[in-house]
Amino acid sequence: MYRDDERCRAPAALVPQRAPALELRGLTKRYDDGTLAVEDFDLQVHDGAFFGLLGPNGAGKTTVISAVCNLIRVTAGEVLVFGEPITSLRARSWIGLAEQDINLDRFLSVRETLIYHGGYFGMRREQAEERAEEMIDAFDLRAKRDVRAPKLSGGQRRRLLLARALMHRPRLVILDEPTAGVDYELRQELWRYIRRLHAEGTTILLTTHYLEEAEALCEEIALIRGGKLLARDSAEGLRERYGATNLAGVYVKAMAEV
Amino acid sequence: MTGMQGMKWLARRETLRVSKLWTQTVLAPVISSLLFILVFGLSLGDRVRNVGTVEYDQFIVPGLIAMAMVQAAFANNASTMFQARSELYINDILSSPMHPWQMTLGFVVGGLYRGLLIGGSLLAAAFVLTGVGLAHPAALALTMVLCLVLFASFGTVVGIHAESWDATTFVANIVILPLAFVGGTFYSVALLPSPWEELSHFNPIFYMVQSMRFGLLGESDVSIWLSLGVTAALAVPAYLWAQWLFTTGRRLKA
Repeated sequence: MYRDDERCRAPAALVPQRAPALELRGLTKRYDDGTLAVEDFDLQVHDGAFFGLLGPNGAGKTTVISAVCNLIRVTAGEVLVFGEPITSLRARSWIGLAEQDINLDRFLSVRETLIYHGGYFGMRREQAEERAEEMIDAFDLRAKRDVRAPKLSGGQRRRLLLARALMHRPRLVILDEPTAGVDYELRQELWRYIRRLHAEGTTILLTTHYLEEAEALCEEIALIRGGKLLARDSAEGLRERYGATNLAGVYVKAMAEV
Repeated sequence: MTGMQGMKWLARRETLRVSKLWTQTVLAPVISSLLFILVFGLSLGDRVRNVGTVEYDQFIVPGLIAMAMVQAAFANNASTMFQARSELYINDILSSPMHPWQMTLGFVVGGLYRGLLIGGSLLAAAFVLTGVGLAHPAALALTMVLCLVLFASFGTVVGIHAESWDATTFVANIVILPLAFVGGTFYSVALLPSPWEELSHFNPIFYMVQSMRFGLLGESDVSIWLSLGVTAALAVPAYLWAQWLFTTGRRLKA
């Protein structure tokens, strides 16, 4: 039972008294082919946190994210967002998701992508139109405003994906490998935007394979493997615990322990 | 209220898709059905004068409109669902604060919209070309809605289950198209020898053609109530099937 393992608890200083932004209780997911992706998985992410989820391919990161975003059928357990079960529409309206795969609607232009997403999440037309223009400027997509997603470059698509996730002003933003396959310049740009978002009070859950990214951005990091939580702490706390000089060293040691 | 707003936007997205692709989604089926009316009705109509009391060029119009509408509603929803699943942008909808019934209805509206555009265009053209009447508008309207709900829902189900484009076109070409052709569009089943006449009554599209014919021409091989009853008895479970898939997440969520 990893839920009672003290290595998996958030450091007391990092846990506020408000309802956590995200709480997973005993989350279990077994896929139809029998694969057990996560088992009895517990996690709490406090409101306002910048939380990183690290682990190798197949560790269960995307499964956890998909459970939070209503994209998989959960086998057992509970998912709460700001204290509300994910089955409630209110809870779902508080989440913004930028998936690892670029899944933009091929029939919609940049502006339409943003407006329609806002509509799906309950925004009225005027609100959505105004917010879409803001996002177009914020993500430097003005020149491509009326261009359909398949005609955008890789970097523009990635920016649009992030803009779409933020369109409805979510309280919890989930970024599943947002910088995978992007060049250095765009990565820096995305980092700047994500940092600003966090500074404004948005809770961020980030998965990444880039350890330096997690170290540079996240206040707290959880290491997972085989659907189990191995450890969670600040980057500094993890370095101390594992006697490593950097997060890469922590990662190697933690994964070797399993 | 949040979910209602989302449903409206989803329905708007589905109609926008139809409008953006109008040459494929509306113009092409309208032209092919008009060619049927011109080639079969106007040219063959000189040799086959009447079916019962109805002129042949008018006789084939209701069936051709029904065929075009149901095929379009099916193809529309099968393709929109399959594409949304295979390119994963369905996730934007599944993660949104909408109830499953709102998602189902939002998608079905697209098939209805496309079917009505085609049906309306063909009706207008048939008035001009053949002088076909409008005998029972209420029956016609109800028939059109039931047919479109049935085939848009069935298309949604097939699009959710399909593993490839081939699966969706297989159902359209191997199931729906043959049933439509032997559903009494071009002939009255009363003229068929036994057992073909009796077998025709097991074809669901036969009843749709009959109720369309009743609505437009006031003539039908069977009671309008039977035709509407059979169509409704198929439309309701088809819609509920689509709804069940959204509610349980089967085939939509891993």
